[in-house]
Amino acid sequence: MRKLNTRFQPVITLLARLTLGGVLLVAGGLKVFKPTESANAVAAYKLLPTDLAHLIGYALPWLEVAIGLLLILGFMVRPAAVLSGLIMVVFIGAIASVWARGMLIDCGCFGGGGEIDPSLASEVRMNYFIEIMRDLGLALAALYLYFFPYGKLSIEKAAPSTKE
Amino acid sequence: MAKQQVKSGDNVTRWIVIAMVLLVVATGVFFSMMSQNDKENASLAALGGMKLKPAVTSTVDPDNGSAIVFNAGLPKVIDIWEDPQCPVCKNFEDAFGEYIDTLVREKKATVRFHVLSFLGDESVRAANASFCAADEGQYLDFHKALYAVQSPLENSGFWSNETLIKIGEKIGINSEKFTKCVNDGEKVDVVKANYDSMSKFGVQGTPTVFINGKLWERTSPNFDLGEFSAAVEAN
Repeated sequence: MRKLNTRFQPVITLLARLTLGGVLLVAGGLKVFKPTESANAVAAYKLLPTDLAHLIGYALPWLEVAIGLLLILGFMVRPAAVLSGLIMVVFIGAIASVWARGMLIDCGCFGGGGEIDPSLASEVRMNYFIEIMRDLGLALAALYLYFFPYGKLSIEKAAPSTKE
Repeated sequence: MAKQQVKSGDNVTRWIVIAMVLLVVATGVFFSMMSQNDKENASLAALGGMKLKPAVTSTVDPDNGSAIVFNAGLPKVIDIWEDPQCPVCKNFEDAFGEYIDTLVREKKATVRFHVLSFLGDESVRAANASFCAADEGQYLDFHKALYAVQSPLENSGFWSNETLIKIGEKIGINSEKFTKCVNDGEKVDVVKANYDSMSKFGVQGTPTVFINGKLWERTSPNFDLGEFSAAVEAN
């Protein structure tokens, strides 16, 4: 296993970077010019005071774009991975919380957001599950990048290894 | 797991990048907030062109969820359940507002407006102000003005008492009584009674419309005036 990892690590790192960075870039990019929608979407989780929720709704898309770009370019990968991992954990917690409270909302992950009418209840709950699984996968990619931030096609290169 | 080693000596670059990321985020937040405020102020300014129509008196009916009732006692009864902040209610108003206005003014139907407030503080304030306007006989126009300036962002801070009084002023409600009623939240009990009556009438969302007690369900994807007026006239 370790040997396999040593051999393919640069490629795995590249794939993890492109997947995580790509999702963040797309998610952020779709929301960045719809600030109102994004602010409403965060407020719809009813987890934070309204003003703070709106502020986060304005900031989050830009942050996602910035982290996404860093990951794709391969620059400051470790800090970017830590940050995106934390964001994913927050997303998972937020979705689990609305699910547990029996609320029916659109996660607003890729734009949209807000309440959904009860006729779509089962579909919405299925979406919560899929979203949590997706974010869990992305969090694992972030974890891998924390340990192995340097791979192929990266601006930053690993320091020459001193031991091995 | 053995962590890959970080190259040392590029701390300066690191801080520059972190600063740049923060700058991008801060700039984005700033422009997002500005554009939001601009939209709200522009819609408020546009209200200046609205002329107040003649007053129509209404009553508050405790037996029907403390709704605002026009033309009580006619054979045709329309119940409209709305939250002033609900975006779909704005679409509803844009499509059917004029028609419903006519029904009320020409006394063709009893119309009961249930002013809900489940979307937060600003709905409560706007609902309170709506009942204050109803006391002046100006609910219809105030209601129309509220939807005309409705912010796309719920609870954005736009519908403060100050703004609600200003909306009144713009369309010609200038009485001291209205100002006091809005500022003191004189109608919050009635507002709460409206909200509390939702479950009794089986209302789960807004806008909900009953025509002669029967739930109106649209078949067209958008609010179609032909479909709605046909349903009203059929019953």
